Amino acid sequence: MKRRVLALTAIGVAGVMSLTACGSSSSSTGSSGGNVTIKLLAADYGTAGTSNSTQTYWQGLADTFHKSHPNITVQVQTIAWTNWAQVATMIQDKQYPDILEGDAPQQFAADGLLYKLSDIMSSSTVSNLIPVFAKQEDDTDGTAYGAPFTTSARGLFYNKKLFAAAKIANPPQTWADIQNDAAKIKALGGGDIGYGLPLGPEEAQGESYLWMLGNGGGYVDSSGKYAINQAANVQTFQFLNQLVKAGDTEPGPASTNRQQMWDAFAAGQVGMVGGSGAMIPDIVKNGKLTNSDYGVVPMPGKSAPLTQTLGVHDDVVGFKQGGHADQIKQFLDFVYSDQNQIAFDKEYDLLPATTSASATLSGQDPVAAGFLKNVPNSVVYPSNTNWNTVLAKLKQTLGTAASDNASQVLNGLQTFATSNQ
Amino acid sequence: MTQSTQAGLLEPAPGSDGTPRPTARPVGGGRRVLRALAPLPWLTPATALILFVVIWPVVSMFLTSRQHFDSMGFDQGSAGWNNFTKLFDEPDLPGVLVRTVIWVVAVVGLTILISLGVAQLFNKQFPGRKVARWMLIAPWAASVVMTSIVFKWMLNPSNGTILVLMHDVGLMKNFNSVNWLSQQTPAFIWEIVVAIFVSVPFTTYALLAGLQAIPDDVYEACRLDGAGAARTYWSITLPLLRPALLVAALINIMNVFNSFPIIYEMTGGGPGNQTSTTTLFMYNTQQTSIGEAAAMSVVNFGFIIVVVLLFLRASRWNSAED
Repeated sequence: MKRRVLALTAIGVAGVMSLTACGSSSSSTGSSGGNVTIKLLAADYGTAGTSNSTQTYWQGLADTFHKSHPNITVQVQTIAWTNWAQVATMIQDKQYPDILEGDAPQQFAADGLLYKLSDIMSSSTVSNLIPVFAKQEDDTDGTAYGAPFTTSARGLFYNKKLFAAAKIANPPQTWADIQNDAAKIKALGGGDIGYGLPLGPEEAQGESYLWMLGNGGGYVDSSGKYAINQAANVQTFQFLNQLVKAGDTEPGPASTNRQQMWDAFAAGQVGMVGGSGAMIPDIVKNGKLTNSDYGVVPMPGKSAPLTQTLGVHDDVVGFKQGGHADQIKQFLDFVYSDQNQIAFDKEYDLLPATTSASATLSGQDPVAAGFLKNVPNSVVYPSNTNWNTVLAKLKQTLGTAASDNASQVLNGLQTFATSNQ
Repeated sequence: MTQSTQAGLLEPAPGSDGTPRPTARPVGGGRRVLRALAPLPWLTPATALILFVVIWPVVSMFLTSRQHFDSMGFDQGSAGWNNFTKLFDEPDLPGVLVRTVIWVVAVVGLTILISLGVAQLFNKQFPGRKVARWMLIAPWAASVVMTSIVFKWMLNPSNGTILVLMHDVGLMKNFNSVNWLSQQTPAFIWEIVVAIFVSVPFTTYALLAGLQAIPDDVYEACRLDGAGAARTYWSITLPLLRPALLVAALINIMNVFNSFPIIYEMTGGGPGNQTSTTTLFMYNTQQTSIGEAAAMSVVNFGFIIVVVLLFLRASRWNSAED
């Protein structure tokens, strides 16, 4: 039995070799005989070992795909987000997957490891990607090396029970509203948190960005150059400092992670918190708040709610070391069908990355529709080549800007970003 | 004499009496060299192991500190001394170094003081001594990571047991009003407390062994000479305890200096790097620059060498006195 498997593998390898040999002469040789196995490495959005593990989703797709393409086997491996650094280690050890889904920094493309997107996805699929995210995958020379796979948009979640108890009539629209409402919720005296401000290392960059946008700031200026210490940002963090000092937030935001605040909101102890659809499963699981106990509104800005929200996306990229461009292309075209996109986003309360799937999902799911409305003109993170390095520094440091030395911290970050190009 | 011929002669196992097999070529000088080389077969495995697990990583660390790595960990060529310049330009570095000194001095000093008292107590006969001695092992036997996490949860601002207690006795009005682990000074003090908590058992047992080795007749002679309790402790116990004290102190210094899990689990060195010691700073730097983190490791390695030299010097001083 074992020998037989070995023999089959040998045939597979031989097949691959002949395929790559042909591939060099003509770009698409189609599926000549021989079985090919492509490796998929993906992030786990659920809990490993349970039925909501993303392993289940991908294995389902791989099995269905194998039925219609018997000569292509997709081998699925998922990695928890908390272990995501392991991916970099695997790549350094030259254990390349054929497809990677998750966080795929520009650096992979800069290191020359990736296929161009046009090599691994048919043009009809590419043109269906939501433009604002697809554009982010472009390299400096305008070539795309990856595609968005799943997206999420941010809004402000507020606890209607606490709002009623504190006699607040309307959800907040401005920073001043947040400040007043948070103070009122704190004054209830039950030890509840007014505004949950997670500036800890998990996602300091996200929460901060939402506040920066409210004051017309951001990480880069209009020409794409880093402008972390721009006056608007300094002002934003000075306001946050005021909020923290007054006790309107949880104590010690610079050490508080997003998940802690989401859990606390789900437990009914937080008045307002910035969140995405991914928070809804937490709320359901906790069971403290029913659907009518909380609401979602656009994130307040300094003088009016944000018209553009923060959109975040995870990517799909193809590694060229395996030489399976054709097979990757067939599989990805299958994965990006509306049905498969929507199945994923329903499972994890995330949003699709394609225009057609968004339209379909909007019709089916009112909560998702609320978020999807904002997606096409959402604001995204910078895509500078060194963004990944800067990001690691931001996560560690940005939270400390909500203190008396806002400008000092932001100046330090600006220096770091520009000197580590 | 050429080394190679001698090495060749060494190949077969020497006789059981420890002398080399008689050879056909009786050369006076050669025999002496041969005898000198005889321990080689016994030393080689250990030496090879040390070369592999100690020396090679050190060399590799030095090489890494002179390379430029991109954010994905790919080597982009030599960086010269850039990583070191960048490291010494870090605004956080001076604070980190000062904190490391405070960390080592405070943890080791307080640990020794507390352990001296506890060891003295455990050296006395009292009911339940056996149980008490066993109980002291608990913080030692428990995983440091586990202990740190338990303390972190005990300090949770909304439901940590320490804060619940403070709330219930009226020391704190509302939950979620204080988060010690997010403020530099309280966080660092709590980390020092945990480090002492996990260091005391080992230190106590080391000192207890030292105390038990002091013969009773010394104390008897002391009593006959009319010395009081304080005098006895200062002039008899402490000097005779010095070997144990020295070992305990130096092992603790190295342990505490290199300690990672306590601070990592409780604050991750944060907020920012406000509670980082050099080991934590190395880890946090590695997220943005592997080369710079390696440079920090080299600096750390230098510190350790200094500590080891002090240790060797101190132990020589110790044996000379004995």
